[in-house]
Amino acid sequence: MDYTIATKDHEAQVLMTGRLTFNDHAKLRALIKEMLQNASKRQVLDLSALEFVDSAGIGMLLIAREELSNLDKQFVLRKATGQVKRVLTVAQLGKLITIED
Amino acid sequence: MVCAWLNKRCEPATQVDGGAMVSYVSESTPAPTTAPALTLDYALLGQWIGFADVQRHTMDVLRVEIERTSTLVEDSTLDLSRRFQDLAISAREQSEHVNLIVGMARFIEIDGNKVPLDELVNSMQTIINEMISNIINLSKNAMTMVYLLDDVQKDVGDLEKYISDIDAINRQTNFLALNATIEANRAGDAGRTFAVVASEVRNLSKNTGDLATRMRSKVTAVVKGVRDGHAILREIANTDMSPQMLAKDQVDKTMECLVNQTNHFQTVLEGTSASSEEMAGVISRMVTGMQFQDLAKQRLEHVADSMTIVTAGLEDLVSRTRATIPEGVDVPFPQEWLDGLLSRFTLSDMRQRFVRRLLMEGTALDEHGILDTVHEESQDGGGDVELF
Repeated sequence: MDYTIATKDHEAQVLMTGRLTFNDHAKLRALIKEMLQNASKRQVLDLSALEFVDSAGIGMLLIAREELSNLDKQFVLRKATGQVKRVLTVAQLGKLITIED
Repeated sequence: MVCAWLNKRCEPATQVDGGAMVSYVSESTPAPTTAPALTLDYALLGQWIGFADVQRHTMDVLRVEIERTSTLVEDSTLDLSRRFQDLAISAREQSEHVNLIVGMARFIEIDGNKVPLDELVNSMQTIINEMISNIINLSKNAMTMVYLLDDVQKDVGDLEKYISDIDAINRQTNFLALNATIEANRAGDAGRTFAVVASEVRNLSKNTGDLATRMRSKVTAVVKGVRDGHAILREIANTDMSPQMLAKDQVDKTMECLVNQTNHFQTVLEGTSASSEEMAGVISRMVTGMQFQDLAKQRLEHVADSMTIVTAGLEDLVSRTRATIPEGVDVPFPQEWLDGLLSRFTLSDMRQRFVRRLLMEGTALDEHGILDTVHEESQDGGGDVELF
């Protein structure tokens, strides 16, 4: 998994690419740290280029949401497709994290 | 001759061989004085008697045939009615059985309890949702633990480094204490007290070194434990459960298909039940419709009765005519007419009964006009009109 961060319209937009799996846990921790330090109140994770997510990846997204929530920051998942979208739907992640198309 | 049939009598006035002149005489009305002279043709009368005899028998045979046919139709109709009634009962039973299946289709029996299918589907979906929710919580907790142990591992690494730092400091302390001891000895008596302090510092340094060694040993054990635990936890967290989560889609789809199929079966079965019920109704109406046989029977009875009266009239007229003509007048058998009639009887059993009737004046027939066995055996060739 790789990511880039851009700040646009008062929100930080993180474009995530590749596959998000357990092996990316260190990288995701770094991303969470960046998002925590980012000034934007709204952190948007653009999943349009993410091909795959495993159960550890879902766990990490929930950790991110929790950490951001502790700092009163909003965490949004956007434009998920394919397997990622199906997993998010089946996991009913929409009940915990804002999901946008 | 028709007038005679109506209770009038034709009496010969004079008799001539082969032909005669008669005067017309009536019982009810006196003969008009101007009555025309009538020539009585005995040959023709004889021919008529022969013809009328055969006709009388023919009429009788036909009457019996009508009665026979009526009975045949009645028996067959009753038999058909019974079969149709059985069919109607079967159709109703089928409808009841199908209704039973329809009633059961929406339920599944689990441990003796009838659970509605939709309730079962909902409960299974709830279970699967809970399972997925547990998987997600487990993943999140496992990752939290992984991050915590990452930190602990880093802290323990620092701890090892600190122990090494203590060792370095201790080595330096020990070295300083050794130098102090040497310097104290060199100072002689003046340095004796200092030598005791230097020795105590060396002891202290040794103790500190021992403590550092024990700490390193324990810290090494902790580091090993943390690393092993971390490895196991990584393995747990690295077990991808997303395929199991996505299996929910398949389970949902299967359940939906199951419910749809059951609903389809139910609709079809309800249609089948309605068809069976309708069939039973149609069959019942058919049985009612077959009561036409009663009407047909009554009509045929009337026809047969009329034929009996006609036959009796004909017989009476024949006997009276026979009494009128002199002995020796030829009564020819109407072979040609009979041949013509018989040629129309295409049913062999009917033809045989007819021939038998003519041959034996009906003595070989029972009351239903059927040939009895004894005569049946001797009636080979009975259908051959040439016997006459």
